[in-house]
Amino acid sequence: MTARTLFEKIWTDHVIVVSPQGEELLYVDFNLINEGQSFLAFDQLRMEGRSSRRPQQHLAVTDHYLPTINRDRGTAGMSNPEIRRVVEMLDENATEFKLPHIGWGHRDQGIAHVIAPELGIAQPGMLITCNDSHTATNGACGVLAMPIGGGNQLRHVVATQTVWLKKPKTMRITVGGVRPEAVTAKDVILSIIREIGVGGATGYAIEYAGSAIRAMSMESRLTICNMSIEGGARIGMVGPDDTTYQFLNGRRKAPKGADWERALAYWKTLPTDADAAFDRELSFDAAHFAPMVTWGTSPEDCSPVDGVVPDPSSIGDGDRRRHVERALDYMKLKPATPLQEVAIDRVFIGSCTNSRIEDLRAAANVLKGRRVSVPGMVSPGSSAVKRQAELEGLHRIFIDAGLEWRDSGCSMCNGSNGELVAPGERCASTTNRNFEGRQGRGALTHIMSPAMVAAAAVHGRLADVRGMSLRDMS
Amino acid sequence: MQPFTILTAIAAPLEIAKIDTGMILPGRYMRRHRRPGHDYGEAFLYDLRFDEKAQPRPDFVLNHPAYRGAKILVTDSDFGCGSSREGAAFAVMDFGLQALIGPSFGEIFQVNCIQNGIVAVTLPEAAIHDLWRQLKKQPGAAVTIDLPDQKVIAPDGTSHAFDISPLRKDRLIRGIDDIDVTLEYRDVIEAFEAKRRATVPWLPTASRE
Repeated sequence: MTARTLFEKIWTDHVIVVSPQGEELLYVDFNLINEGQSFLAFDQLRMEGRSSRRPQQHLAVTDHYLPTINRDRGTAGMSNPEIRRVVEMLDENATEFKLPHIGWGHRDQGIAHVIAPELGIAQPGMLITCNDSHTATNGACGVLAMPIGGGNQLRHVVATQTVWLKKPKTMRITVGGVRPEAVTAKDVILSIIREIGVGGATGYAIEYAGSAIRAMSMESRLTICNMSIEGGARIGMVGPDDTTYQFLNGRRKAPKGADWERALAYWKTLPTDADAAFDRELSFDAAHFAPMVTWGTSPEDCSPVDGVVPDPSSIGDGDRRRHVERALDYMKLKPATPLQEVAIDRVFIGSCTNSRIEDLRAAANVLKGRRVSVPGMVSPGSSAVKRQAELEGLHRIFIDAGLEWRDSGCSMCNGSNGELVAPGERCASTTNRNFEGRQGRGALTHIMSPAMVAAAAVHGRLADVRGMSLRDMS
Repeated sequence: MQPFTILTAIAAPLEIAKIDTGMILPGRYMRRHRRPGHDYGEAFLYDLRFDEKAQPRPDFVLNHPAYRGAKILVTDSDFGCGSSREGAAFAVMDFGLQALIGPSFGEIFQVNCIQNGIVAVTLPEAAIHDLWRQLKKQPGAAVTIDLPDQKVIAPDGTSHAFDISPLRKDRLIRGIDDIDVTLEYRDVIEAFEAKRRATVPWLPTASRE
């Protein structure tokens, strides 16, 4: 039998119809739905008189529009009527289409891509879709997870439990070596995107491999896969291994007993065969990576924190130069300014990229016994992460340092819920996108790891966490 | 869905790279129900078209009178990267555009466009730069997109061939919807599903609580 990649094995297992015209009809094992514009799909299904074909293979999750304060007051606590309406629409649509729903008051509420792995829904070998560009996050569990459009494609998945897709090409990104201390998963993925560009992996399904990925916790792998789309790829995955199995074992939706043994035997057949070929191979050495910060308006616009703002006049490529000129103008930055001299106005710790317990521990480790110089908030990725953090006393560290301890949701990553960075304000953020206006109109976003955001919060400017003495949390 | 065959229309050059879907449809518009007379046309590239006082920016290409009525936009690289919001494709459509031509597009956005009947054509950078040059020299000039023959014809008559998935091309030309096609395979889907359930019976399900 020919050697196959992880991606090819899972893809092939889900093909229902091979179209002679280049797209295949694939079976969707599980679909996550958020409130962000899914109402467009439900509006249309309702008009057509269609229903959900397999409601138990869906989970609606309220995350994008939910404010992270006043949760105890329910929808009455949502002061913006437009936002409240979007939250209510998902409640109504889930009820009408008989879809399981984790809504605003649910004990498990959280960001879809945080709770799917947390509940054990994301299992190796599955095909998972969601109307969200960061769906590949779940790929860290050995899942073929990919975004679909919130209108037509979501409507198609709800009505048929299938999706038409063109098979992507495959790319393996091998990160060898050992990560230096203070270099996190976020720094690894930003360093990769800096090299390949925001369109570098467009049309590819990425598999992340190599010793530095193998050595990562599941939380870190989720951060890596999360930002696949920032390199242009809709799919990013890591082959399942003992870290994956240990993470899944005992989770609520994970197989139990005899099923666990059968599942485990199947999962072990999934990793890429030794001599399988990829359409493209890239290699990096983790030992060369450093803590990163973005300075521009695209995730590829990043540099090690001890660097300087680039000078567009030294960039030969015309398109790149025009982009950097525009980015520096928007970001109000002068060429050659040391990045650590850039003063910030606020911080945000949260989002599907960096809001899991490991992320909160890393930020708390920097903030313990210190005070922040700028305001900011911490939004845990799920209610379960919030409970765990409170059990460990992390919330006290954040509050004592001067940050707000909020409820869980997408929050200030894109501000759909009204939690925005003010125009002209500069924010150090653990999120995934620094596009113009992403955190609010005129907002200036610098993305980095949780520990680096914590360091920036303490200093009131972009700062190198390596220069700070850290206390032992254990 | 409207069938798309041959379109000859005013084309506007948009020379800004990496315009993400959040610029195409700013987040604050995403809470809107989309319905006739209250669609996403106003939202399209709002922050580029208008300043903080909601006044049109005179130097922005789409505010130039010569490009009024443009149905084609010739974009820069990575147009539509970022968030998967399908409303971005609706904003393109509601603004009155029927086609985009660019060196590269965000993949999800490009799929969303095509599934909503907007042709998003990829051409080499040199061809795009030449189109920009001609459209700036002769503002209001028309470009032709011939989908059956898979070519773009520039104002000076130069023809550029483009690739498109045969399946998407067929559905665009016929103006037919994916669900109609899928439902023809209903029996195959059910057989597949039964077999999958037997092979991997442990797959997770959720329930309404």
